[in-house]
Amino acid sequence: MFPAVIDEYIRPKDIAQARGALAGYAPGDAIFIAGGQSLMQAIKSRMVRPRCVIDLQDVAELKGIERGNGLTIGAMTRYVEIAEDRDLSGGYAALRDAAQHVGDRQVRNRGTIGGSICWNYVASCMPCVVLGLGASMNLIAADGKRRQIRAEEFLLGPLETARAPEELLVSISVPKLGANSGSAYKKWGLVTDALPVVGVCVLVILDSAGKCRSARVSLAGLSAGAHRAKAAERVLQGGNGSESEIKDAFAQAAAAADTQSDKWADDSYRRQLIRTLGFEVATSAFARARGTVQGVAK
Amino acid sequence: MKTITVTINDKVYEESVEPRMLLVDLIRERLGLTGTHVSCTYEGVCGACTIHLDGDAVKSCMMLAVQADGHKITTVEGLARDGVLTALQRSFKQEHGLQCGFCTAGILMNMTDFLSKNPNPTDAEIRHGLVGNLCRCTGYVHIVNAVRAAAKLALAERGGE
Repeated sequence: MFPAVIDEYIRPKDIAQARGALAGYAPGDAIFIAGGQSLMQAIKSRMVRPRCVIDLQDVAELKGIERGNGLTIGAMTRYVEIAEDRDLSGGYAALRDAAQHVGDRQVRNRGTIGGSICWNYVASCMPCVVLGLGASMNLIAADGKRRQIRAEEFLLGPLETARAPEELLVSISVPKLGANSGSAYKKWGLVTDALPVVGVCVLVILDSAGKCRSARVSLAGLSAGAHRAKAAERVLQGGNGSESEIKDAFAQAAAAADTQSDKWADDSYRRQLIRTLGFEVATSAFARARGTVQGVAK
Repeated sequence: MKTITVTINDKVYEESVEPRMLLVDLIRERLGLTGTHVSCTYEGVCGACTIHLDGDAVKSCMMLAVQADGHKITTVEGLARDGVLTALQRSFKQEHGLQCGFCTAGILMNMTDFLSKNPNPTDAEIRHGLVGNLCRCTGYVHIVNAVRAAAKLALAERGGE
C-alpha cells in the first residue's frame, strides 16, 4: 500500500487559510486531513486519490474542549485528550468510554474525533456516541458560510455524511447534560479494542423523582451505520431503569435491528450482542445519572 | 517536491520529498535509520514502525513525511544515550522480551512513551498499552515481564520514589 501521486500539500495556520486552500480545486480533489488514522489507509489503498492534501494539524481553533452551555469539542481534538479528560463524566461519560478503547495507544495519540465523524466508517465508535448524546456538527464552507447540523442529519450512512467536500467540520456541540444525566458506551470486537462488531451508546436524563425523563440509544456496527434504536428508547422513557425494563428495552432493540451476517458475526450473534451490551451500557448510564457509581467520579 | 526540516534523534535533517512519501520510508529508505521496521506492509496494524512524534508514540506508516515538517522525532536508534541502553532496553534483554526481534523496535518506542505517562503500571495496563503492537513469537508474557521490570528498575534508579 502506497499513495498515488499527490500534487500539493498545504498546512494552513487557521480556518480562513484552510478554506482558502481549496481554491482552484474541483470538489473532492483537495481534501482535509485530520489525524489520518482512517484517511491515510484510504489514501494508501488508493480508494481516495487527492490531488491536494490540506493538513489541519496547525489550526489551533480546531483543537480542545470548551465548556459553557454544554461542550464544544474541536474537530481536531485527539482521542487521547478525550480519553484522559476526567471531567467528561455523568452525561458526557460515553465520550470517554469510547475514546479510551479506540484502536490502540498509537491511534489514540493521533486520531481525532472530527476525523472519525467525517469518515463515518460503519464500524466506528464516535459517530454512534455523538448520535447518542444528541450532538450537532458545526461546519464552515469555503465561502465562510456556517451551518449547524444535528448528528441524525449529518450521519447519512457508512462513509457518507452531509458534509460537502468544501466544508470543514469545525467542532461538535454536545448539549448541556446536567447532574441528573448519565451516559455510557461499550463495544464488542474480535480482539481487544477492535472495531465494533456491535457498539451501544445510551444517554438517560432523570427527573427529580428518579424516573427516566428522556433516553437516547444508538447502535454502531450495523450495515446502516450509526443509528438510533428508538424501540429501546420508548421502553426506557418514563421508566425507573429497572433490570427488567432495561432487558425488555434491548430485547426490543435487538428484535427491531436490521442486523447483517458477515465474517465477523452472524445475524443472531449481533442480536445477542445488542441485548448483552445494551444491558451493561444502560445499567452504567443509569448508575452515572443516579450518582451511584462506586470508586470513580460519576 | 517539498523541502522539509525534521529533527530525528537530535539531528536536524533538511530533505526534499514528494508529498506522497510516507514518513516511515523517509526514515528507513532515505535516511537509512532501519531500526524502525515495516511488518504489515503499511496497513497500520502491526505497530513495528512506531516512533515518537514530539514525544507521542505514533505509527510512522500512517503519516506523510511532509506532515513531520518542523517536528521532533525519536526512533529506536535514539533511545540509548552514549551507548548506554535505557532501563526498558536492558529489561527486554534481561527478561528475554523477544524472540525474532522484528516487532521489538516498535514495542520499545510505544512502551517508552507509555512508561513516561504511567511509570508504575499494572499488568492489565501494560497489556492494554500493547494492543497496537503485534508480536507473533512470544505470546507477550515475556514482553509484559520486561515492561514491568523496566518500570521497577526506572523507579529504583530514580531513588525508589
